[in-house]
Amino acid sequence: MQNLAQVQSASGSFTERKHLAILNAPLDSSGTLIYTAPGRLEKHTRLPKPETLVLEQDKLVIEYKDRNQRRTLALQDYPVIWALVESIRSTLAGDLKTLQRFYRTHLAGSESQWRLSLIPAESNIGTVVREIHIGGSRNRVRTIEVIETAGDRSLMTIAGDTP
Amino acid sequence: MTARAVSRWPVIVWLGALVACAAIIGKTDFTADLSAFLPRAPTPAQEVLVRQLRDGVVSRLVLIAIEGGTPAALASASRRLAAGLRQQPESFAAISNGEDSGRGEDRGFLWRNRYVLSPAVRTGHFSSADLRLALEDNLRLLGSPAGLLMQRSLPGDPSGEMLRLVDQFAGVARPDTRDGVWFSQDGTRALLVAQTRAAGYDIDAQERAVALIQRIYANTTEAPTREAQTLLLSGPAVFAVTTRARIKTDAWRFSVIATTLVAVLLLVLYRSPRVLLLGLAPVASGALAGVAAVSLGFGAVHGITLGFGATLIGEAVDYAIYLFTQIVPGSTPAATLTRIWPTLQLGLLTSLCGFAALLLTGFPGLAQLGLFSMTGLVVAAMVTRWVLPALVPAGFAVHAAAGLAPQVALVVQRASLLRYPLLLVTVLAVAFLVAHRAPFWSDELASLSPIAARDRALDEQLRRDIGAPDVRHLVVINARDEDDALAASERIAAVLERAVARGHLDGFESPAAYLPSLATQRARQAAVPEPAQLRENLSAAQRGLPFRPGLFEPFLQAAAAAKVQPLLNRASLQGTALALKLDTLLVKNPGDGAMGWTAMLPLRAVRDAAAIGRDLAELPDHGAVLIDLKRESDALYRTYRGEVITYSLLGSAAIVLLLLINLRSPRRVIEVLTPLAAAVIVTFSLLVLRGNLLSIFHLVGLLLVVAIGSNYALFFARPAANSDEHARTVVSLLFANVTTLIGFGLLAFSEVPILYAIGSTVGIGALLSLAFSAILITRPPHQAVSPA
Repeated sequence: MQNLAQVQSASGSFTERKHLAILNAPLDSSGTLIYTAPGRLEKHTRLPKPETLVLEQDKLVIEYKDRNQRRTLALQDYPVIWALVESIRSTLAGDLKTLQRFYRTHLAGSESQWRLSLIPAESNIGTVVREIHIGGSRNRVRTIEVIETAGDRSLMTIAGDTP
Repeated sequence: MTARAVSRWPVIVWLGALVACAAIIGKTDFTADLSAFLPRAPTPAQEVLVRQLRDGVVSRLVLIAIEGGTPAALASASRRLAAGLRQQPESFAAISNGEDSGRGEDRGFLWRNRYVLSPAVRTGHFSSADLRLALEDNLRLLGSPAGLLMQRSLPGDPSGEMLRLVDQFAGVARPDTRDGVWFSQDGTRALLVAQTRAAGYDIDAQERAVALIQRIYANTTEAPTREAQTLLLSGPAVFAVTTRARIKTDAWRFSVIATTLVAVLLLVLYRSPRVLLLGLAPVASGALAGVAAVSLGFGAVHGITLGFGATLIGEAVDYAIYLFTQIVPGSTPAATLTRIWPTLQLGLLTSLCGFAALLLTGFPGLAQLGLFSMTGLVVAAMVTRWVLPALVPAGFAVHAAAGLAPQVALVVQRASLLRYPLLLVTVLAVAFLVAHRAPFWSDELASLSPIAARDRALDEQLRRDIGAPDVRHLVVINARDEDDALAASERIAAVLERAVARGHLDGFESPAAYLPSLATQRARQAAVPEPAQLRENLSAAQRGLPFRPGLFEPFLQAAAAAKVQPLLNRASLQGTALALKLDTLLVKNPGDGAMGWTAMLPLRAVRDAAAIGRDLAELPDHGAVLIDLKRESDALYRTYRGEVITYSLLGSAAIVLLLLINLRSPRRVIEVLTPLAAAVIVTFSLLVLRGNLLSIFHLVGLLLVVAIGSNYALFFARPAANSDEHARTVVSLLFANVTTLIGFGLLAFSEVPILYAIGSTVGIGALLSLAFSAILITRPPHQAVSPA
């Protein structure tokens, strides 16, 4: 975690695959992730359709350039989404304290090949998210796997990281 | 002739009148309704303002903060207090502290009625093309974390009406949440908002509500945390309660202290308890008569008027002092009265001119003060003239007066040396006022507010913490019935919608968002296609998208149900927080005129009020008015202040005329008026110099200075038979001045701004009037021939 906390900014390309019960095919997407310390996270999705997510402090801004639409979510109104995005941001920031506000954490593996497991601490998040597994090596995050209670799950793989 | 023979009847009449006054007062209502200090004949816009201040929802909010101790302890205290208050539905319409309670009902209501509530439901909204777009958006949203927002609602609401409704109501600022309840941003205070059932002007009910909050807080807090935590309350209702209590205690306390001090002083002077009581008789009778007159004239007596009981002591006690102190040993009170009555009468008439100015203003509060003071002074003077002489013990004279007279005479003789320094001071004061750049007068209605500055600071702090919008701009429309009002709101909302798009404002609230008009509800039902048609549209829209077959069955069912559901009315919102909101935006007017309903649309962050006003003027309804409450209230105040100033100047002119008629010499009129004018100018400068923005109440204070000071000047200017008599006169003025200083000087210690303003103004002004009269008024020439 200390290694991560020293990262000032990082960016990398990602691919994500989501399996949802309501769909009869997985959803694939890909794009770029940019993290700037201490707490700004941008997710630029290019495919299948452009979408920009910017997480800063307690606001999440979602923008669809092609539709000229923009939504700002105050995270405290959406505790589940907050918990979900915080799992990524706080891990990147090496902010164990914030992570533990939402999750019970368990770190396993070695420095070169670590795996952080997050189990929701609060029941309202627990009704939606069962567990989150984050895998990485040294100060880089490689994979983020979210397993939802309804059986939905997603796996994000991050590559080409340039800290 | 003996005094005894002539004066049985006045005493009997006096006692009878006192009994009558007491009987009237026994049946009098005492109010502390702050709207008494709002004008009587407002414009329609101002009527809305006044109604809002009297019983609008804003006037019913109690802001509650708990501070001190750990956040966890604060959060649990907040929960327990809120739970306790929620068990008092007959006192509180709503308790909000950030907990989810109630929001479940709201969501349920929105969800059940999404197709009649959502503004997006129009013809074509459920066509296959529009549904296709909606489904593609859903697919994209599912890929992002925000997908969680709609994942579960998707099967029942693929077009996203629920999200739209939630968004529509979510644009308002809300406080931070910690441990599930509202907190100030720095995390030191847990915050709650209670809305009382009783209207803001019902102060008795508000007082019970505030006491209930305090009691429940005390009962729900455990001893160890109670030590660390404090409960803070604020809001208009709380202000009304504390202000009334404070005016009561201040008026009562200062009246008691002033009366005691004056009584002790007079006892030392008169050395006779009986004469002391007699000396207080004019004031007491005047106060009783004043309250009775206000009660008869206005139907109720305002607490602030009572606060002036103390001020009346300032002038009315003087009458008895003039009489008793000027009795020459060996002479009778009746003889003394014959001597001083003309001067006393002139002084009384001058004061009446001043107070008549108050009576004529359109300000019920000030008019009460005017009537109270005028009645009080007339009765006090009458009691002094006709009742006292009969009751003063034979051979009474104030010996202290004789003892002091030589010293006082010496001081007065020397005082004229200060003429030129005084002239210089006055010129400097005028120069200062002319050169003064900043405004003298406060332009805000808030300056009339009897709320202490520190309470207002707490209120502003809590308001910032809670993010309670300071409602400033409001579109108001009157309509025949509830549904007309809602339909009009929808037309206004359409105009505002465009104004938002143009950036003239950030947003607005409309009652029709919570309860659409019947016509709109029917139109939305009609816009939902028949079930078979909708099924066809949906399957066309879904072609090629990866949604599981049969996923949207709940949507098809809900849409079919919406098409035939009974239309919503006010009762449908029962039990939700939205009902409360609707009640604040859509109100039935008191009485049953043709325009029985009023809809209000509060605006957020208005940038171009003029443009919005122009757009609204083009509506067919007319009657839709954009009100800037702050501007309205300040304009109201300025009109008002202008009126009071005009009447004060007219009062001053009347005083000059009165003096001219009585003294029959312009030179003597100028002689009497010069010290008064100088005293008013210097007092005014001193107040401005101290950094006060002057309010109407300072102006009232200056009127009182003229009323009291004119007595001083008139007595100074009165020709005296000999220098001994003159010295006696001056001693009586000195005593009168000391009592005035006691009465008003004490008010300057009050925390109630009104009492403070008047107390400090009159205290300074009365002292200066006496000093300036002594300095500037030379003794009439013919008495120099009769030195002892």
